[in-house]
Amino acid sequence: VFQSVAGKAALEKEDLEPALKALKERLMTKNVAEEIAEKLCESVATSIVGRKQASFSLVSSTVKAAMEEALLRILTPKRSIDILRDVHAAKEAGRPYTVVFVGVNGVGKSTNLSKVAYWLLQHDINVMIAACDTFRSGAVEQLKTHCRRLNIPLFERGYEKDPAAVAADAIRAAAREKRDVVLVDTAGRMQDNEPLMRSLSKLINQNQPDLVLFVGEALVGNDGVDQLMKFNQRLADLSVGSAPRLIDGILLTKFDTIDDKVGAALSMVYVSSAPIMFVGCGQTYTDLTKLNVKQIVRTLLK
Amino acid sequence: MVLAELGGRITAALQSMTNATVIDEAVLKECLNEIASALLQADVNVKFVKEMRDNIKKVVNFDDLAAGHNKRRIIQQSVLSELVRMLDPGKPAYQLKKGKPNVVMFVGLQGSGKTTTCTKYSYYYQRKGFKPAMVCADTFRAGAFDQLKQNATKAKIPFYGSYTETDPVKIAQEGVERFKAEGCDLIIVDTSGRHKQEAALFEEMKAVEDVVNPDLVIFVMDSSIGQAAFAQAKAFKDTSNVGAVVVTKMDGHAKGGGALSAVAATKSPVIFMGTGEHMDELEVFEAKSFVSRLLGMGDMSSFVNK
Ligand SMILES: Nc1nc2c(ncn2[C@@H]2O[C@H](COP(=O)(O)OP(=O)(O)OP(=O)(O)O)[C@@H](O)[C@H]2O)c(=O)[nH]1
Ligand SMILES: Nc1nc2c(ncn2[C@@H]2O[C@H](COP(=O)(O)OP(=O)(O)OP(=O)(O)O)[C@@H](O)[C@H]2O)c(=O)[nH]1
Ligand SMILES: [Mg+2]
Ligand SMILES: [Mg+2]
Repeated sequence: VFQSVAGKAALEKEDLEPALKALKERLMTKNVAEEIAEKLCESVATSIVGRKQASFSLVSSTVKAAMEEALLRILTPKRSIDILRDVHAAKEAGRPYTVVFVGVNGVGKSTNLSKVAYWLLQHDINVMIAACDTFRSGAVEQLKTHCRRLNIPLFERGYEKDPAAVAADAIRAAAREKRDVVLVDTAGRMQDNEPLMRSLSKLINQNQPDLVLFVGEALVGNDGVDQLMKFNQRLADLSVGSAPRLIDGILLTKFDTIDDKVGAALSMVYVSSAPIMFVGCGQTYTDLTKLNVKQIVRTLLK
Repeated sequence: MVLAELGGRITAALQSMTNATVIDEAVLKECLNEIASALLQADVNVKFVKEMRDNIKKVVNFDDLAAGHNKRRIIQQSVLSELVRMLDPGKPAYQLKKGKPNVVMFVGLQGSGKTTTCTKYSYYYQRKGFKPAMVCADTFRAGAFDQLKQNATKAKIPFYGSYTETDPVKIAQEGVERFKAEGCDLIIVDTSGRHKQEAALFEEMKAVEDVVNPDLVIFVMDSSIGQAAFAQAKAFKDTSNVGAVVVTKMDGHAKGGGALSAVAATKSPVIFMGTGEHMDELEVFEAKSFVSRLLGMGDMSSFVNK
């Protein structure tokens, strides 16, 4: 990796190969999905090939610098969403702002929904939670407990009800009661489970939430790519409006369980181009932060 | 179906060697690259894939191999036996014994599927004639007791827990004692999700284990887990007397390589696979037939041992 090609006219693909191979392996060790690590290395190669190598500089440093640049570009949000501003705008318009939390089983949707509720409360926003996981045992009681602790209202209709209808009733109730925000919890589902994906799409189509937040865990490996791709794909395919409905943002959970293996953050953003709006880093209400892009890039390249 | 996808890539890589007229180092390298990338996409531990490549290269020594030797077969055998080695600790899991109270404790990361698997496991053995009971020693997660209670009620399995007691050790002890007295022969203890970075949570797990003195500790792992799997699995093994593994959510798209390569860290066999959210969606796991299914081959246990 430390070979120097100072004096050569321009860098060729072969000169880069050992450094790229080492870099790809490093990214994968940090839990970046294989496909993403490969694509990134390819694009970095394309950006350097033909470039003049400054004398006495190492190829590996050139490659690393180009990768750092690429990572920063990918992880820096292209569209920024300011929830607090949007909540106030909805309030001005006299309607509640709604957020739907979606994702596969057990990633932390309900827990982090409660953390978001707590965060909104800190900003003097009046919140209601809607229990639209009407399937998993204990799902309603889980939210009941959080609502009691946070002293906020829960809208629930028990189990085995149509979640789309429960959400619609909840939003109507919130409008009536002049709530600022409705946080809609949904059941976990595998991205390949067609009936459950249809049911989710129905909930979103019928209720047109302001924000669809995809909840994904930092522990996830290559499947993270597939999860985001398929949630996006199914939601888009089944959209009823003129514009396809996609994932608006990502909530990355369990960031406290992965040490330096931060790669899922990159994989998720890379495939969806959606911003990571929150990072869950523990099991209490205050364990919710913003993504630190620079730190992620540093960790990935270390 | 997803397994077949991975198996298909590996089989195709091996097949490309058959098609090559001369099998030289370049052909071998190409084949191993393809297999490695298939395994990495399945989340198999990066270090393990590297080791596996080195091991295979060692086995396939071109100079030593007499002309006419079937190199493809040697490579194929090495790939298979490396995969089986990853999954097979060489000793079976504790077998439940009828007529005595078997205590089984479930541990694992947050949200991996412990509580759901407790019911599936109880239900499975209930149909085999055991008298199971479940204890909810998760006093941390909101709604944990309700979840276990609703599941147990559906499966008609007795349960124990508390809405007010906050000490999981106390509940575990009381629950196990109660069900022993009631003559249950399979007592399941569900615990909170935890992770190695929080020492207090691991101490709590140890304390529960000490007081219930389980015959078997089952580590539950989510099949979608990536490269963090190994370190977490090892930490659980180092703190708790893990004796078996259940890999959950195999009905999803994940190929399970992260979880399966972390099995080595637990030095324990995988005994079941979770394949859905319902209580009957649990399949017995057998490493050798799993790998052969993975590779889209017949039963290869005899093949590997050759
Ligand atoms: N360490 C850690 N644990 C978390 C975090 N977020 C959630 N959890 C835990 O993960 C487990 C699952 O969380 P839930 O909120 O129930 O997950 P869910 O996605 O709603 O699950 P389903 O509704 O069953 O699909 C719980 O034990 C949470 O305490 C986090 O940021 N860090
Ligand atoms: N599709 C699918 N979902 C599963 C499977 N096993 C568990 N789940 C789901 O995964 C989610 C988490 O399961 P739990 O049993 O609550 O996980 P846990 O490990 O007890 O979670 P904590 O107690 O919070 O650590 C729930 O939505 C379950 O329905 C499985 O094999 N397939
Ligand atoms: Mg939930
Ligand atoms: Mg549980």
